[in-house]
Amino acid sequence: MDLTFSKEDEDFRSEFRSWLDTSLPQEMRTLAWWRPKSAAEQFQIRREWEAKKAEAGFCGIQWPTEYGGRGGTPTMKAIYDEEMAKANAPRTVNPLGLAFLAPTVMAIGTDEQKRDIIGPMLRTETIWCQGFSEPGAGSDLAALQLKAQDQGDHWILNGQKIWTTNAMHGDKIFTLARTGEGAKRHEGISMLLVDMNQDGVEARPLKQITGESEFGEVFYTDAVCPKTEVLGGEGNGWMTAMLLLSFERGSSAIGQYTEFKGQWDAVVDLAKKAPRGGGKAVDDPVIRQKLANSLVELECLKYHSWHVLTQTSQGKDLGYEASMTKIMWSETFRKVSDTYEAVLGASFQVDEAMGMTVEELTTLALWSRSCTIWGGSQQVQRTIVAERVLGLPR
Amino acid sequence: MKFQLTDEQRALQEAVRDYLGDKWGQQQVRAFYDGDDETGIPEGLWKAIGEQGWLAVMVPEEHDGIGLGLLDAAVIARAFGAATVPGPWLGTVLAGEAIRLAGSPDQQAKWLPRIAAGEVKGAVALLEPGTQDKPAARASNGALSGDLGLVEYAAQADLLVVSADDGLYLVEPSAAAVTPHTALDRTVRLATVVLDGAAAEKLENGNPLPEILDRAAVLVANDLAGIARKALSDTVEYDKTRIQFGKPVGSFQAIKHDLADIHLAVTMAEHAATYAAHAQDVDAPDRQLAASIAKAKAGDTANAATSAMIQYHGGIGYTWEHDAHFYLKRAKRLEYAFGDAAQHRERIASLALA
Repeated sequence: MDLTFSKEDEDFRSEFRSWLDTSLPQEMRTLAWWRPKSAAEQFQIRREWEAKKAEAGFCGIQWPTEYGGRGGTPTMKAIYDEEMAKANAPRTVNPLGLAFLAPTVMAIGTDEQKRDIIGPMLRTETIWCQGFSEPGAGSDLAALQLKAQDQGDHWILNGQKIWTTNAMHGDKIFTLARTGEGAKRHEGISMLLVDMNQDGVEARPLKQITGESEFGEVFYTDAVCPKTEVLGGEGNGWMTAMLLLSFERGSSAIGQYTEFKGQWDAVVDLAKKAPRGGGKAVDDPVIRQKLANSLVELECLKYHSWHVLTQTSQGKDLGYEASMTKIMWSETFRKVSDTYEAVLGASFQVDEAMGMTVEELTTLALWSRSCTIWGGSQQVQRTIVAERVLGLPR
Repeated sequence: MKFQLTDEQRALQEAVRDYLGDKWGQQQVRAFYDGDDETGIPEGLWKAIGEQGWLAVMVPEEHDGIGLGLLDAAVIARAFGAATVPGPWLGTVLAGEAIRLAGSPDQQAKWLPRIAAGEVKGAVALLEPGTQDKPAARASNGALSGDLGLVEYAAQADLLVVSADDGLYLVEPSAAAVTPHTALDRTVRLATVVLDGAAAEKLENGNPLPEILDRAAVLVANDLAGIARKALSDTVEYDKTRIQFGKPVGSFQAIKHDLADIHLAVTMAEHAATYAAHAQDVDAPDRQLAASIAKAKAGDTANAATSAMIQYHGGIGYTWEHDAHFYLKRAKRLEYAFGDAAQHRERIASLALA
């Protein structure tokens, strides 16, 4: 048992922290600074900030230097996640590109793809969307129907994708389409890299329960995709998608822990002010049990992130255990959010409560409802854990 | 960053598991459950526990012990939970900890080598019944009085460690009024103990009751994590083969999803119990919080896993002939030992909301 970091890792932490100190002004770490700005402005600021961060060398932490990465260790990536969360730094504008597309390209992309995709993504010159889900293909991804018609040197695409993060800002989309017939549903699918800046592609925002439009729909009407723009080979889309999704497995969840612990601390501050039963919420035995219980889950999430980091640092693939990590962090997020609502009671409904701005916490509490759906719903994850980890029969 | 047992700790884990797998299987547990052994201590098993060094693990080398830490002891506790091991291992180890932490050099020299060798059986009464931090007895002129409530192996022990308002004391069991009771969990022997001006010897070096209570809670949390893991894995194996509606019942989603959740909870309880032991060993700033987190999480989880074991075995799981009740009853006993989950959550609140 050794829960310390090496000197090299700690040096990296100091270096990154001091860069954040000088490059991320205090006001940019508060919601008040972001709130008056439009969604488009906010995205643009995030995009520029991330480019600046990349220029300073704090991007692609675990990626090989030949791809513009830092060539760091899994521990450094965990430290990076932790420091980003501690600083309340802007979230990446390329979440799906960085987490999924880039490692897949490094693994199976052509030399041209490696050159054209990874560098521009790191520098935020290209914003990548993921086109997997369709109205009729959510948890059941293989039900997808986006049609790609063979036109010799290119495909013509017709159909629709949905729940597309950053749909309104995307430049390109890695999208699953049916390029051929197959005897089985998993056959005849290809992963196409489609230019979103063309007449045949239209993105429409979807308004979420938070009021924001972080995701949207993408419509393809005779959209064009050259035959060179396929990842992993024509007809191999399902295998490519499975490889791509497997890159989620290395995530240690230390960033999520840090973020949710900050949320828990804010809830405790509120509990010290919120009235309940003639006293304060923090003195109410039931609220105390709830706060303690969500802290138990939070700390367990932290221990689990150490476990994941230990495994990945030793080069082990966590395999389907990654589904446990996803269930754990998203359920913990829900529990902390539920505690927040219980502390505020009826005041939960309004922006200003107890003289504090609670919009950020309210938005987080609503957002926590989405995290048990996207990226494989809780129910799908439980089935994976039961069948693939516990070995229960299908 | 290595959040994992060392090679030596894994070897210890294997050694304990191998021994128990060989000599203390469910057949032996069952025979013991159904027998009427008043000592509550299978002689061969207790002898082996002493010979293997499982009582010596935290005793310093200068007193013929092995001088390891709480995490090493936790490895043993977890394996004991999974195998529903009877006997006063916990009470003896905790008596040793009290003497190690608070005994004078003479007291240590007198008791620790014998504890390490398994020559002395210990029992502890550290809490006023129903509390999680109040001492068990009152001291007056070196004599102790108080209703200590239920004490494990009080009738079999050679040595009783009792907490009082001004420190920890050694009491000879013959000086106490000890009334044995039949316990729900037949792998333990319980007795109520009343002291009425009982002669006692004070441990002379301070009053580490809070530390000992945390160590007790951590060892129990590890036992509970062991119970929970075993209850879950036995249930998974059974549900892979039990056929209803022409299919293994483990293929039904209602069962799968619940077992997946329990697997997650057991994994977290294992992490928490492991970290809590390490946190005591390195005197981490959050060691008290970690102890309470481990006890709360492991208690809740063992409760869920042992209940699920009965439910997902169906009727057979409710019979005396099935092993499920061994785990349920041990979990129930330990759930309420050294503070239950709700009490530990309140302690977490007082530590973290200050």
